Amino acid sequence: MGVALPPPPPAPVVLAPPPARVSAALTDTRIQVSSDFRGARIVLYGAVFDPERARHDVVVVVRGPEEPVRIVRKVRIAGLWLNTPPEVFRGAPGYYMAASNRPLAEVTGFAWRRRLRLGVDNIALEQEAQRTETLYGVEGVLVSPLEEDYFDFRRAVVRLKQREGLYAADSDAVRFVDEGLFRADIALPAAAPTGRYEADIHLFRDGRPVALRTRTLTVEKVGLERFLYILAHERPWTYGVVSVLLALTAGWTASAVFRRR
Amino acid sequence: MDVYLPIAEISVNAPLLVALGAAVGFISGLFGIGGGFLMTPVLVLMGVPSAVAVASEANHVTGSSVSSVIAYRRRRAVDFRMGGVMAAGGAIGSFMGVEVFRWLRLLGQADLVVSLSYLVFLSIIGALMLSESLGQVLRRRRGEALTRPLRARRPGWHRLPWRMRFPRSRLYISVIPPVLLGVGVGVLSAIMGVGGGFILVPAMIYLLRMPASVVVGTSLFQIVITTAITSVLQAGRNQTVDVVLATLLLVGGVVGAQFGARLSMRFRPETLRAVLGLIVLLVGLRMGLSLIVRPEDMFQLAPGGS
Repeated sequence: MGVALPPPPPAPVVLAPPPARVSAALTDTRIQVSSDFRGARIVLYGAVFDPERARHDVVVVVRGPEEPVRIVRKVRIAGLWLNTPPEVFRGAPGYYMAASNRPLAEVTGFAWRRRLRLGVDNIALEQEAQRTETLYGVEGVLVSPLEEDYFDFRRAVVRLKQREGLYAADSDAVRFVDEGLFRADIALPAAAPTGRYEADIHLFRDGRPVALRTRTLTVEKVGLERFLYILAHERPWTYGVVSVLLALTAGWTASAVFRRR
Repeated sequence: MDVYLPIAEISVNAPLLVALGAAVGFISGLFGIGGGFLMTPVLVLMGVPSAVAVASEANHVTGSSVSSVIAYRRRRAVDFRMGGVMAAGGAIGSFMGVEVFRWLRLLGQADLVVSLSYLVFLSIIGALMLSESLGQVLRRRRGEALTRPLRARRPGWHRLPWRMRFPRSRLYISVIPPVLLGVGVGVLSAIMGVGGGFILVPAMIYLLRMPASVVVGTSLFQIVITTAITSVLQAGRNQTVDVVLATLLLVGGVVGAQFGARLSMRFRPETLRAVLGLIVLLVGLRMGLSLIVRPEDMFQLAPGGS
């Protein structure tokens, strides 16, 4: 991710301290989804190295694989509640969690939150039909065919994903367990998509980002679930025939068993 | 004990699903129906995406109907030729239904069409069954003679071209009506996840004028073939068949069905039809409720994103 970090301080004339660094590791880099999967907990440990021992804030952003979001709105036609054709948003993460040691608004200002995409209101959501235009002499203005409804749709996507536990922000999830040593607990719901996840660990000092680390983890289906999922998506016809044969066998077995009794 | 359904991508309680299968199986055995019209709404209410519920339910109906067909075949109560002709129509119908369903899903209208089909079909069929069977019950109370179905005059459409002999049903009729009936039921199996017995049985009695003794067995035979084709097509085109879900429901279902079938001997057929009509009507109205009640959230995520 192209994050603009502030330029390094000028070459030390006197004995200037080296910049603060952050280091982090996940306790599990592979999360396995098997038949008893009821969600998982990602635990991340990290350390802040700062010779000055200043007060720092840590924001951990975990993002799941991107998948387009299709959203419909209910409209009332002739007394019945019907769906509008879906609006498609691209670039939406399948899972998003912003964990921090205190509320994001206290960690840093709006500009950095928006730029670094911190918090559920700043998740990248691009509408498929939107385009950039030059309006009133301002270049690169995003224009959505939904006009002012765009914000309603955007908020609805975030709200619906939040309800499924897929988008969240938790200002208690990062805790400093010892001086410079922190721990982040991130809940992964059962509905979390499988694929490659990225965890960005941002270090803030006085509201400015000073360091960034990125870690990756994989959420994958294992065992029978993985086999069935892959079969269903890669050999769908075989899967269909097998599932019908299975159903026929089950029915036939039942009838044979009950006849004997 | 929770189980993760690989296609529905949700965790559900496995014993609960087995018990649900047993309960619906019991009702299907009691009334001699497939039970898809009951199971699909319950799965949707449990949080299974409607596309997955509909497709997996077609697979479940295949399994649960097979054991009944075997039982009816022993009693020589299946007209395989008539069932085969209807199943040919069913194949065409399920192909059309799956393609329509695929298109509706991409438009975000699958839920709507599922609810609307349930409302329209189940309310009408349920109301008809209820009024017909209550009439019979009342007449029995008053000691009047029961009305007998007319078999005297054959309707005109029996004389359409491509006539065929159906010895077991003692009919010599055109294949066009049974094929069209099969097409209709095939479409419903793809869109509603039902076998369609609740439409087939009355249609075979009143439209095709088949003898009542072979109607249920033949309709079940047709249902097995049509739902088998539907579930292969749903898996192939929409990837929405959850085999774990279908198997859990089957485990409970086949056991429940046997007990239901035994208990059914104790009741009068018109009493059973009246109760079934009431259940069908209530399920239809419940599914239709979502169209009339103001939704909690004005927005909804549509599937088929990735």
